[in-house]
Amino acid sequence: MSKKVLMVGNVAIAEGAVLAGCQAYFGYPITPQNEILEHLSKRLPELGRVFLQTESELAAISMVIGAGATGVRAMTSTSSPGFSLQQEGISYMAGAQIPGVIVNVMRGGPGLGNIGGAQGDYFQAVKGGGHGDYRIINLAPASVQEMMDLTMLAFELADKYRNPTFILVDGFLGQAMEPVIIRDAVTKFPAKPWAITGAKGRPKNLLDSFEMNPVNYPSRVKKLLDKYEIIRRNEVRFEGLLLEDAEIVVVAYGSASRSAMSAVKLARTDGIKAGLLRPITLFPFPEKALRELSLRIQAFLVAELSGGQMIEDVRLAVGLDCEVDLVNRYAGVPLPAEEILESLRGIALKQRKN
Amino acid sequence: MDKVIYTKPEAMEDRFTHYCPGCGHSTITRLIAEALDTLKIQEKAVCVSSIGCSVSSYYYFKCDGLEAAHGRAPAVATAIKRCRPELYPFTIQGDGDLAAIGTAETVHASARGENIVLFFVNNAIYGMTGGQMAPTTLVGMNSTSTPGGRKTDTAGYPIRVCEMLATLDGPAYITRVSLHNPANVRKAKKAIETAFRVQMAGLGLSLVEILSPCPISWKLEPTNALKFIEETMIKQYPLGDFKVIDGVKALIEGVNPCSPK
Amino acid sequence: MLAEIVISGSGGQGVLVIGRLIAEAGFLEGQEVVWSPSYSAEKRGGTVSCMVTISTEKVGSLMITRPTIGIAMNHAAAIKLEPALKKDGWLLVNQAENGYQPARKDIHFLTVSANQLALELGSESTANIVALGALLSIHPVVSLDGVIKAMAQLFGSKILEMNKQALIKGSKSVKTKDEKI
Repeated sequence: MSKKVLMVGNVAIAEGAVLAGCQAYFGYPITPQNEILEHLSKRLPELGRVFLQTESELAAISMVIGAGATGVRAMTSTSSPGFSLQQEGISYMAGAQIPGVIVNVMRGGPGLGNIGGAQGDYFQAVKGGGHGDYRIINLAPASVQEMMDLTMLAFELADKYRNPTFILVDGFLGQAMEPVIIRDAVTKFPAKPWAITGAKGRPKNLLDSFEMNPVNYPSRVKKLLDKYEIIRRNEVRFEGLLLEDAEIVVVAYGSASRSAMSAVKLARTDGIKAGLLRPITLFPFPEKALRELSLRIQAFLVAELSGGQMIEDVRLAVGLDCEVDLVNRYAGVPLPAEEILESLRGIALKQRKN
Repeated sequence: MDKVIYTKPEAMEDRFTHYCPGCGHSTITRLIAEALDTLKIQEKAVCVSSIGCSVSSYYYFKCDGLEAAHGRAPAVATAIKRCRPELYPFTIQGDGDLAAIGTAETVHASARGENIVLFFVNNAIYGMTGGQMAPTTLVGMNSTSTPGGRKTDTAGYPIRVCEMLATLDGPAYITRVSLHNPANVRKAKKAIETAFRVQMAGLGLSLVEILSPCPISWKLEPTNALKFIEETMIKQYPLGDFKVIDGVKALIEGVNPCSPK
Repeated sequence: MLAEIVISGSGGQGVLVIGRLIAEAGFLEGQEVVWSPSYSAEKRGGTVSCMVTISTEKVGSLMITRPTIGIAMNHAAAIKLEPALKKDGWLLVNQAENGYQPARKDIHFLTVSANQLALELGSESTANIVALGALLSIHPVVSLDGVIKAMAQLFGSKILEMNKQALIKGSKSVKTKDEKI
């Protein structure tokens, strides 16, 4: 029988990595994700795996490159300022098609910002962040259980598509404690004939993003772009709550979606037909699901912990005929359910007047 | 029957390099390939290239290769070695890569005593980008970003990497060699081989700094470029060993000959 | 059942620990629980807070803005907690100092001299557990047994016995100024 325990979100990520067969972790301390680094500093060496506290986030992501290139499952975790530093290596990983998992437990920004939870790195994580033409699979857990489950999925998808994969989560979830069912450890891993294992009995393997011949380069990038299209088609994940008869749809991810869930339920007791669409993957974004909803629902409310970032994707998906409002908090401050409820009441009132 | 006494090393690919005529990189490529042959480790070696003229240096070896971002090769090599200890990762890095943008990675891989090899190609200039000042550009030396020569009041002083790293407890073997004449090329070859042997024996980090000519960016005839190393560069960057731990001494003196793992 | 509990006090008063014990006990009793450190702006200045939700249903918001139960380990915390409480909510104040008098008449109010009672057991460090015992005797969001089980998991054997005594002592000690009880 599966074991169920109370666990801090960050530790659930660390344990998820262990269960997924993560052989190597490289990280640099930064709040609010230190529990991941601390937990793995004990856990991985116990299992005979690699843990290394690095000199910087730059080194950490470069080590993920080195480890991932050898074919083992590798991870780093950081928070927003460190995530900025890692964009360099992430772009290289995408270009060289080296799998790996990067966890960003987001905090308030820009700059040093503060250590409260936030979702201000949405653009950076979902749209690129580093240089060049690439996309990253973004998984956005909304509970401690999902922090474990999606971390495990991140390793699987990273290997499947030979692509870096992000866990994008806010500091509030990172620090929260909830019951978690401990999953079974992964025992089967895909073969990686492309990996750096020593050129014995086979032609040498090279992993790089560089192309000296300008004639060859476009076809090389095209292969990447084609891969992202397959990911768009196959990997969209989201969860709906009370959408069937909804007249207003809240769109939210991470801890904001938890507040939204409370708000939607409270709104229903008020007689407001609210529903929730929670993207689990931010890239690929559930744009089709939103577009379909927009055919019968004209009011959307985006709840997020940023100045308004995901709202741009929601607007793109639902089109100009729909009203898309924003209820948000930023700068490391949580978004209370009551505020989302107030916004829902305002929209419902406007709908009744029309 | 004729006897072949000189040929392309086995571990070296049969292709043209992108290096300019008279560049030291070609020589270094050959010396590394010779060492891979001598030690029979081509099947376990991994070339971690850097950014600069050493970019895609893995094209020229018949071993696995991996690209590192600018300055990060020591971190990449660290992870390779930690995850697959049976492999022999080595980096080839220029002065800008190793001693400017990658200073942190160089210092910390050294401080941790990672069991890897760093080949540091010091030509005192940014070759690939067209001849700008490097961290090792000599005082007064011309570059495209130090018009009238490097001035210390605005551009500071060149960095002596070997001397700096030798103060750390981590590294096993730190040495500086040069390519300015055949005798020194032979010493360089020896140092490169020793560095690999240090890794094979599990003794820790080796850094071999190689003073290397860049006739194009120095705007000198190739022979004059060699003369520049001999007469000017060596004064700033004296040749010799800067750190040789006891285990490495024994290795060099053949007291404890290493056997490949 | 839905209990939204905010616990607040100064650093070192064991605020996070009692939050954790309530969460663990709720979890052991099969409830949905969330424990979360507080991120109110007042977090700075030595105040430590945490939030615990115990519910029969899946929990939404991690953040509690209107608690049904407030545990204030000092007066400064009580002053902040009182206005936030839901109507008919419960406020427990540790009366280590001068008596705290709530302004609101629409909440239940309890006091406990947790520090003094803890001292009688040998160490002021168990004041938080005394306060927890006091709360649970009046408002059993989780059972005393559940908390004892949770303590057995979280505490070393050295301090376990003393904390058990503190919990029981607290549970027998409530002085109420609440006419509703």
